[in-house]
Order: sequence, then structure tokens, then C-alpha cells
Amino acid sequence: MPSLGYQEKWTLRYAIVGLLFLALAGIEGILMRLQLVDPGILDNIERVISVIRPGSPEKTVAEQFYGMLTAHPIVGIYGFVYLSLMGVFYFLVPFLLKKDIRFKKLVPFNFFLQVFAVLLCWSSGFFTYFNSLYTLYWPLPVSFDRVPAIGATIFSIGLVLIELNILIFAFNLFATVLRRSNPTPGYSYGRFLAEAFGIGRLVRFIRRDKRKPDPNYEELPVFIVAIGRGSVDTVINAIILLLAGVLILIFSFPFLIAGLRLNASIIDPLVYKNIFWWGLDMIADGNVLMYTAGTWYLLIPLLLNRKLYGESIVRTVILADLLVSMFVWSHHLLADQSQPLFLRVFSGQFVTWGEFITMGLTIFAVLMTVWQARPIKFSPPLKFVMGSIFGFVLGGAAGLIQANSGLNVILHNTQWVIGTHAHTLLLGGLTTLIFAVIYALVPILTKVDLPNNKLVNFHLWSWMAGSLGMSYVMGFAGIEGMLRRTLYYNGEYRDYMVIALISAGLMAVSFVVFLINLIQKLRFMNILRIFKPEMAVNLKKPAYNTSAGMSEQPAKAVN
Amino acid sequence: MEKKELKWFIALIVIALAFNIITLTPLIPWQSWLLWNRPEPDKSFSITFENNEIILPETELQIQTEKYVEFSAVSKDVTYGLGVFREDGTMVFQMQVLPARENKFVWKFDEPGFYTIRSTEYSGPKHPDMVIKNAIKVSTQ
Repeated sequence: MPSLGYQEKWTLRYAIVGLLFLALAGIEGILMRLQLVDPGILDNIERVISVIRPGSPEKTVAEQFYGMLTAHPIVGIYGFVYLSLMGVFYFLVPFLLKKDIRFKKLVPFNFFLQVFAVLLCWSSGFFTYFNSLYTLYWPLPVSFDRVPAIGATIFSIGLVLIELNILIFAFNLFATVLRRSNPTPGYSYGRFLAEAFGIGRLVRFIRRDKRKPDPNYEELPVFIVAIGRGSVDTVINAIILLLAGVLILIFSFPFLIAGLRLNASIIDPLVYKNIFWWGLDMIADGNVLMYTAGTWYLLIPLLLNRKLYGESIVRTVILADLLVSMFVWSHHLLADQSQPLFLRVFSGQFVTWGEFITMGLTIFAVLMTVWQARPIKFSPPLKFVMGSIFGFVLGGAAGLIQANSGLNVILHNTQWVIGTHAHTLLLGGLTTLIFAVIYALVPILTKVDLPNNKLVNFHLWSWMAGSLGMSYVMGFAGIEGMLRRTLYYNGEYRDYMVIALISAGLMAVSFVVFLINLIQKLRFMNILRIFKPEMAVNLKKPAYNTSAGMSEQPAKAVN
Repeated sequence: MEKKELKWFIALIVIALAFNIITLTPLIPWQSWLLWNRPEPDKSFSITFENNEIILPETELQIQTEKYVEFSAVSKDVTYGLGVFREDGTMVFQMQVLPARENKFVWKFDEPGFYTIRSTEYSGPKHPDMVIKNAIKVSTQ
């Protein structure tokens, strides 16, 4: 492996540690799956863990389970997904715009703070059994008769640090795009926001017969537009969750220090739930979709060496997606009878179905690009991109079915929601896409080929089979009445959970095969060397104009 | 917009409209009283959720088929869920029970039998214990 440039090294560090967090989330997922098969099955493991975790034999099975369940999405989303996207965007954004990152020192800062903060959240579940779950429904996180106050404090500090870190990352990305300096001019704030929201495109679309084309206008690459648009949602989400963390700390600190219980009823739980989900849906129905769409818009033309089909429509649709992500949150409150009916039907159902239109157009554009490129040789990244599209279609369809005022009555809080919808999207869709990006970027960053071999094919098919198998079995259990976040002590739904466990095991094998393939090609010592501290670099004067070893031209199609 | 794009766009709109219209109609039976008719209930039960316990007004809630029943649930501390399940474990209906809020749900049972009440919203480690088997007895008129 040739010597790596500064940004290549950091991108790989982000990706490798992100994969470690995926492994941690997966291990805990399998442990929870085991507990759903047989709640007492982990007693022997607990005896071993109690060596490093004091007090655990006195804890109930439920406390152990819910401590893991609280940490699990934080590790998966903020550990694996966010670390991966930070590393990838820190490489791709400056690379595509032929610029340097505006504040290079923030690259390692974001890395270390994200790792530290995620581990802090995880440790609140592992060591203190913090069990409020990521939904943090008020006033549960500050109900210290059932939630450990020390755990609430540690978790909230971790959450606040995560969200602050994400804001700093978003700031650095925007600053890079907007930078008006060598080697290329930047964009003004107004111009960038107009492009990010699709407003500029919409205006030109409407007035196209009425004014001459602007010869001086150069559009931002559609990937950058999508990332910019998604990052608006990222910022809003980070602010809302940061405030939720601060709110919990306001209650937990006085209790920890002086045993003082503040009156939690001053916060209306319905208002809290609305604000919380409005913010959190900026991830679930905002930046996830935009970042995914943007990655498809980048990878598919790159891999097929042709222009994206319907790019002009896609740019205009980005504006529609803004309206969708801003007004979609009430689908999380369809089961709340105290939520106004208008909001439940309009926001929860109709606006949510707006995603069907926007993502439907996105998927049509990318699939038509593929269709028109026939005959195609499917490279590893292209295979995984196709897999991710399939995962998003299935997971999205399940979400649309439950975002319905009638069907939600029997689907809310069941395994359908977390299985057929959330895990299909996260594992079959999003994680498969991240694998595609890794397969595409690793050869570019390291100059080491990841050949289209049997290990890649095994990884793809076993991952898709395992993730969709587990998710759909969970969904079938949900249709039969199995709730999410519930331990069943009498063996109910055990048959479903056994099949889900086997599927999860298949995913674990798939992941190991993927790691073996990576390690075989890159060599284990090379991977360790990626983490070797570099000598102090004079960051005021860039060591290179673009990434080391790369040409000024955009990367050619990867085979 | 190219012709193919336009056709696809129209198809998406048609599918979205069709699914939403169909699922808002009484083709989903409970939509007729949850969304449209809003009938006066023939009977009403007040259920209290507190300290991870479900407190029923009677040991067994007696209900007749084809009669509208209102479940009014109150939480004295955190958010819970009122879920009603058949003997085979499948769910009949549910609603969230928020503290300091009115939580009411009207239902019409069409099949006699015994039904279980279980909390459907996580409220702490004792959440899995919040279940009352055969809490509701539905009989024919």
C-alpha cells in the first residue's frame, strides 16, 4: 500500500472505527436477540461480565436488556453511521470541489470527540444500566425511581457532546463549500442555500422560457447539493437533541448533588414529544434520505461513466423534500389520541406519503441511469448500491404502511416498526450503501484493488439475506402482536425470534467475511499503520492541492 | 420533464392517493367510528396507570359485542400504552397514555371472548410485567 495523504488517512480512520462500532452494535443486537429467545440465557455471560461491571449479578434481566437497548441505537447511528459519513464527506466534498478543508484541525477533533462521546453514552448503559431508551419520552429520563440518575447524567453528557460535535462538523463542511480562496472560488451563503434547497433550480425551471441561460452560472455538483440540503436537517436535529440532553442534565445534576427533585411536570409531555420527534425526524426522514440520495447520485454515474438520468428534476425535487422533512414528524404520534387529529392525518399520514413521491422520483432516476447503461458489468460497489436501493424500497414501503391513521392502531410499537421498517432501512438500505462507498473509496484512497471475487459476492448475498430475513421475521412477529421493547418471559413468539437470531448470525458471518477480504487485501499491519500518529504537519500551508496521489480530474469509473 | 419521468410521477401520485383514500375509508372497519361517525359510547371505563401498574375499575371489564366502548386512560407519572390483545396474542387496538393529558379511545368489539390488556409503551424495566390477562370479557348481546 503506498503512503497515504493526510485526508486519506483520516477518512480511513473514520471508516475503520465506524466499522468497529457496527460490530459492537451487532454484538449487542445478537445478545438482545438471544434474550428475546430466552430471557435467562445470558446469566452465564453476566457472571463473566460482572468482573468488569460491578454489581451486575444483582440487576434483573430486564435492567440488563434495557441498558443494552438504550445504548444500541446510539452506537449504531452516532458511532457507525455518523463516523462513516464524516470520514467520507471530509474526503469527497473537498475532492469534488477541488478545495482544501477549511479547518483541517477539526478533522481529528471531530473523530476523537465523536468516539469519546459515543463511548460515554454506551458506558451509561453498560455500567450504570441507564434504560430510558433513545426516545427519552418525558418525564421517563428524569424519573429516578426507575432510571439511574448517574446513568441519565453520563448519557446526557455524551449526547450533548455528540450533538455539539455534529454541529462543528457541519460548520466545517459548510465553511469548506463556501470558502472563497485558492484554488477555486467559493459560493456565497445565499447561493449555496438556494442550491441546497433547490430554490435556484425551481426558479430557473419556472422561468426557463422567459430568460436566457446564464453563461456564467456553474451548478454545484448534485451530490454537494444533496449533502448541503441534508446538512440543514443535520443541524436542526443536532440542536433539538442537544437541548434534550441539556434538559435532562438540568434535572439530574441537582438530584445527584443534593437529592433535589425538580418538578418534571412543568414540561408538557405532548409538547416535548412533538418537538423531540420534529427534531429526530430530521435524521430519520431528512438527512438519511438526502445523504443516501446524494450518494446514489454520485456513485451511480461515477461507476457507470454516464450522466445521471433526470438530474434536473432531481435538483428541483430537493426543494420538495425540504417541505416533507419539516412537516412529517406527526407519524410518530399517530397513536397519541391527545395529538390533534388534523396533525395526525395531515402531517402523520399525507405529508409522510410525500416521501413516497420524492424518494420514488429519486429511485426512478438512479434505476433509469442503470437501465440505460446496459450492458453493465457489476462491480462490487455497484452491486451494493443496487442492494441498498432494494433495502430502501422495502423498508420505506413498510414505513409508509405504518404511517397510516388506520393501520397504525395495530402496528404502532410492534416489531413491525423496528423490524420491517427501521432495521430493513438501516441494515438492508443504509449499511449496504456504506459498504458500497467503502468498496468504491478504499481502492481510490489506498491504490489497492478490492477485486470482484467470491468473498464480495458472499458478503453481499449473505448480508442482504441476513438483514432482510431478520427484519421481516421481526415484522411477521409484529403482525402477530409482538411488541417492540418488550421482554416476553413465557416463550411467546420464540419461533420467530429463533429465526431472527439465525438471520442475525448470518449477518455476523457476512461482516466477518467482509473484514477478512479487507484485511487480506490491505494487510493487517498496513491497517494498523493507518493509526500511526503522523508527524506534526504545517496545516497553514497545504502539503498538496488535492488528495495525495490523485489527479485533478474526478475519479474514473471503478471496476 | 421527460415523458417517462412524467408517467412515473403520475403513477406515484395515483398510488399514493389510492392507498391513502382506501385506508381512510371504512374499508378499515374502525375508521368509521375513529374518523367519521364519532358515535357516543354506550359504556366507558377509566383505567389508571401508575408506578408500572395498570389499575382497572373492575376486576373484569364486561363488554357486549357491537356496542361502542370508551377507554379513558390516565397516567400519574410517565408515558404508558393501553393495548388490548386477543387470546392468540394479536393486537386489537392500542393508544398512548400520556401524563397530564386526556387519553380516550372508542372501540367496538365484534367477537366474543377474553382479551388481555398490556402496556404498549416502555416505561422502565418493569414494563414487561404490565399485563393483565383476561382483563376484558366480551359477550354477545
